[in-house]
Amino acid sequence: STASEVTPHIPGRSRPLMSPSSVLEEARARLHVSAVPDSLPCREKEFEDIFSFVESKILDGTGGCMYISGVPGTGKTATVHEVIRALNKAYEDGELSQFKYISINGMRLTEPRQAYVQILKQLTGQKATPDHAADLLNKKFTTPGPRKETIVMLADELDLLWTRKQDVMYNLFDWPSQRHARLVVLAVANTMDLPERIMMKRVASRIGLTRMTFQPYTFKQLQEIVVSRMKGLKAFDSDAIQLAARKVAAVSGDARRALDICRRSTEIAENRSPSKKTNILVGMSHVDAALQEMFSSPKIVTIRGLSNQEKLFLRAIVAEFTRSGLEEAEFSRIYTQHISLCRFEGLTPPTTSQLASICSRLGSIRLLLVEHGRHDLQMRVRLNISQDDILFALKKKQMFDE
Amino acid sequence: MFLVGIQGVPSVEEKSKTTKEVDPGEITSLQNVQDELRLRFCQNPLSPALYGYEKERRQLFDLIKRTASTGESNSVLVIGPRGSGKTMTLNSIYNELIEDDNIRENLLQVKLNGLLQTDDKIALKEITRQLQLENTLGDKVFGSFAETLQFLLDALKCGSQSSKPILFILEEFDMFAHYKNQTLLYNLFDIAQSDQAPICVVGVTCRLDVIELLEKRVKSRFSHRQVYFLNNYNFENYCNICMSYLRIESKPVSSDFIKEWNKQVEKLSKDGTVRDVLQQQFNFNKDIRALHHILMYVVCQLNETHTFPTPSDFVEAMKVTTTDSKSAMLHGISILELCLIIAMKHLTDIYDGEPFNFEMVYSEYAKFAQKRSSMQMYEKAVVLKAFEHLLALELVKSTDGSGTRIQKEYRLMSLLIHPSQITDALQKYPQCPTEVKQWASTSVI
Repeated sequence: STASEVTPHIPGRSRPLMSPSSVLEEARARLHVSAVPDSLPCREKEFEDIFSFVESKILDGTGGCMYISGVPGTGKTATVHEVIRALNKAYEDGELSQFKYISINGMRLTEPRQAYVQILKQLTGQKATPDHAADLLNKKFTTPGPRKETIVMLADELDLLWTRKQDVMYNLFDWPSQRHARLVVLAVANTMDLPERIMMKRVASRIGLTRMTFQPYTFKQLQEIVVSRMKGLKAFDSDAIQLAARKVAAVSGDARRALDICRRSTEIAENRSPSKKTNILVGMSHVDAALQEMFSSPKIVTIRGLSNQEKLFLRAIVAEFTRSGLEEAEFSRIYTQHISLCRFEGLTPPTTSQLASICSRLGSIRLLLVEHGRHDLQMRVRLNISQDDILFALKKKQMFDE
Repeated sequence: MFLVGIQGVPSVEEKSKTTKEVDPGEITSLQNVQDELRLRFCQNPLSPALYGYEKERRQLFDLIKRTASTGESNSVLVIGPRGSGKTMTLNSIYNELIEDDNIRENLLQVKLNGLLQTDDKIALKEITRQLQLENTLGDKVFGSFAETLQFLLDALKCGSQSSKPILFILEEFDMFAHYKNQTLLYNLFDIAQSDQAPICVVGVTCRLDVIELLEKRVKSRFSHRQVYFLNNYNFENYCNICMSYLRIESKPVSSDFIKEWNKQVEKLSKDGTVRDVLQQQFNFNKDIRALHHILMYVVCQLNETHTFPTPSDFVEAMKVTTTDSKSAMLHGISILELCLIIAMKHLTDIYDGEPFNFEMVYSEYAKFAQKRSSMQMYEKAVVLKAFEHLLALELVKSTDGSGTRIQKEYRLMSLLIHPSQITDALQKYPQCPTEVKQWASTSVI
């Protein structure tokens, strides 16, 4: 095993970073998802709720849990971190007694029982096997001892802590209800009905009914988030921000997506500027280009970039589907169609080997869904795109390259 | 290194026939040219000219450069069909970047491939090994899977803007999306979205629908930048690319030979036959890797009596690469086996694609052999052997798997040869009896 003396670190740079030189670079740095502001805009109410919940538990010296849910990118983890920062500040101002903050994340564990190891390590610094760690933690939380401080625990990505016996989840929610534990658990997951859906009755009942849902951001909120990050910078046209916000809100309401799109549009604006001008405004056209890049599916463009025989093969598939009325066809039938289409267009008909390689090529980029090649002529072929898309992409004009 | 030696070294009597005196200096220069071109076609180093992807290359270059110089974390997916130059572009970008001393000292590269790192455990060890973190000793990584993950995450968490940026290149990205929980992708994208060591994650894949494979949490953390490499050049560009691959710019050999070589290549580019061959290949498959196979064949045909490529070499190469494998197999089977295949074809026609068994094929064959031909009628056991041989060649396939306990004479089979291939094979079959040809061409219905 690794020695306990090793210190994980990434080697440092030999030269310091360049600081941002232009307005757009500054804007890019601020728009990066990692640049979390001190207080999240549009999440004041949720912040208040979580803060008062944890604060009351710390003041009373009791334990409890809270279940927080919401789709990805709605600020759940960031809000919890903000609460912890605020509580630390309150402790420094002498308004609260001391507490200890630990966090585990289901996605960062190789298996659910490693959660015990993580918790023990953050509490006491010891290393132990999962079983041993579970015993130690049980002892710690269930036996009365001189308790000094409340422990606030953030359990992120809770659904991955699910095991068949559900012992990890059971313990997580059972410990706060022990009299001597003084443990506050904030469980975070994506689905609202997770406790009812995957947990046993006795686990779900221990979570209790203190629950909170983070709604997806509306377009006004997304706009506010971007504008608050751009405070004091003249980099964006306000309509451009609104366009990005409306588009993202219509799809998912994910703040990460909105920030990424704005960041990408600053890059596009920089590339399109004729010279190295320093004061470019990011306008609607730039945001629109970024949206096209991130939301559009390139299938039509891909079809137009195929070789002539590949395009013909797609047409043969459509022809075979129309003939049989099914959405699935055997390769040998399509081959027959392909040969007659070749004669019609005046191209040399390919051999079966060639056509099979065309078929597997289109299958590898997933324009088609094909079975394994060992089925040979009986391989069944389906389309992964709609027939209209094919017909649209292969309109007479664009059918054949010069 | 040498895939194919210089072919067709002439024998003694041939040498005496050749009146042309071969200059030994020319041979070494030809060998040098061949070495150079073989390296170009097989080892996939940087191409002489990257065509048609200037915009995409610019975008990726800026992105990676920003990570290296300003410490901005990014993630991007490079998507395009196989053989369209994705990896080559990334390599050329990396090589161009590390020419700058400042960047070379400050950029770590980690290369992973979904075919080699088949699960998160192996991938993590590989990352730790390539970064040479403190829990490695030489090439060995200590600690369990969980410890390795924790160690790596701690290392990246301790990193800040002042640590070296890391460039992660994940080849066959879609394989990584099939790992349990997508732990590795989640963590890499999460680091790219948080205030830790600056990293740039570049996924390379050929699947257009790769984003649909990502779990919602992973998808949310991915920045949705996609760069597409689609072969959108026309035939004229394709010819130019082909000739630029054959031209020799560097000076490994005497310049007279090079001049002559390039002149010949120039001549080829205007030749109608060569253009026809290229047009045929272009119609069939646009990617450059397939073009390499043809050019490789052309280059391997050269020897001391045949120093420059000719149009006929191209025609020959095209012929070799486009042979139909099944027709070639049909040329190598016996007359009896051919008769069985024709019998099966008739059965497939009569019963409209329904599967058949050996008994049906045998009775069909017996009908033909007794009534309509002067050929010898073989015994049943011999015919069964021939039938099993076809089964072994996979020209016939059992429809219900091999695990059934039905006797082999009654097992249901289906034919894996298209009627057009049979007609084709009969025309080219050496000394095919006339009555067999007639039997094949008569329609049964």
